[in-house]
Amino acid sequence: MNKNDIISSGLLELYALGLASPEETLQVEEWVTQFPEVKAEIEAIETSLESYAQAHAIEPPASVRDKILSQISAEGKKTSYLAPHANDVKGQATIYKIPSYFKMAAAAIFILLIGSIALTYSYYGKYQSANDELQVTQQKIDEQNQANLAMKTDINVMTDKSSLPVVLKGTPHAPDALAKIYWMKSTGDVYVDPSYLPVIPSGKQYQLWAIVDGKPVDAGMISTEKGIYHIQKMKSFGHAEAFAITLEKTGGSPTPTMDEMYVISKI
Amino acid sequence: MPEIKKYSEEELVGLLQKRDQPAFAYLYDNYSGALFGIIYKMLEDRELAEDILQEAFIKIWNNFSNYDSIKGRLFTWMLNITRNLTIDTIRSKGYRKQSKIQNSANSVDYSIDNISSNTNTAESFDALGIRKHLTLLKDDQKQIIDLAYFGGFTQDEISKQLAIPLGTVKTRMRTAIMELRKLLQN
Repeated sequence: MNKNDIISSGLLELYALGLASPEETLQVEEWVTQFPEVKAEIEAIETSLESYAQAHAIEPPASVRDKILSQISAEGKKTSYLAPHANDVKGQATIYKIPSYFKMAAAAIFILLIGSIALTYSYYGKYQSANDELQVTQQKIDEQNQANLAMKTDINVMTDKSSLPVVLKGTPHAPDALAKIYWMKSTGDVYVDPSYLPVIPSGKQYQLWAIVDGKPVDAGMISTEKGIYHIQKMKSFGHAEAFAITLEKTGGSPTPTMDEMYVISKI
Repeated sequence: MPEIKKYSEEELVGLLQKRDQPAFAYLYDNYSGALFGIIYKMLEDRELAEDILQEAFIKIWNNFSNYDSIKGRLFTWMLNITRNLTIDTIRSKGYRKQSKIQNSANSVDYSIDNISSNTNTAESFDALGIRKHLTLLKDDQKQIIDLAYFGGFTQDEISKQLAIPLGTVKTRMRTAIMELRKLLQN
């Protein structure tokens, strides 16, 4: 095939369009090296097709350009990292950066820690005083409850249907003295209210006696601790002719000291 | 307006062989429109066309050492890379549409309306002037070039499409391109 046949065959056009078969392509590439005219002809065809393509160009969006160029420059940087200097600089930068970040974080944590310790102390103090107050209050409540309970008992005793009030009047030894006994006829329980007995000297204690069949029988010691006088339960008696209270040594006596009789009753 | 650098094809190839990034940006600015126009017309899918354009230029950059100026012009080489990627995409997606073939066969309307009048190549390339000349191209001549260029068809497919013998595709194509060259010389 001579060069004119080649040029007029139409194969060069297909080659330029990328439509030639692999065998045809190899053939054309061989001719190109052999015949400068063939190469020139292909160049002319390509130039015209290039113009045709340019005339039908559509501008792609700028984002595509950015993506392509940044991808290419990123690849370029990758290879430059292999240079030892680039690595050194990067290493230093890294060392500087991370501590400054941690310093900030450490400072923040330290401030939070101090703050929380201060709060803890403050709350602990408040908790302590609140706890103290609570205990004081609870104590008061307990005392009040005890007082209430005592009072209730007193009232119950006084208002019990079966209670028989017995007034013990002052003897000539103590004309102003007064005591009351509440005697439960149903059960035989004896309660004494020593509120109006005179204040006793230390080492002494009032003792209640029941006169049964003409003889005094010990009915129990009356508690006057701390100066508090309230209704208290004594020994029980099924029957008795009279009650009397004498002042005895602490702990009581087997027989009443008649000189120290303060009050006596007759039933 | 900053002065636009112009490279001869030889200078450009030399710089790209040294992996010069500004030269690559220049290559993109001058050829992306033409390549994108071709991809878009083959696919008629703008997003996919953008992906392929990106892939094509990355491939051009990475494989630039494979370019041999003896075998043809730079654009032809780039076009082959781009066309092959596009055809692979069409095939992998079972993409090719019958309607596309119909369109190509009876229309001259790879229309000027679709074409950007503001390409990056405007400074160095008189697209408008060429388009004016191209209107003088006979319909059947334009059609065969378009089928090859924008249809992504093979010789065999073109022969079937135009209902002409396979051997005739070559001579028809030559006549059409001769006419194109003549118009462009004016």
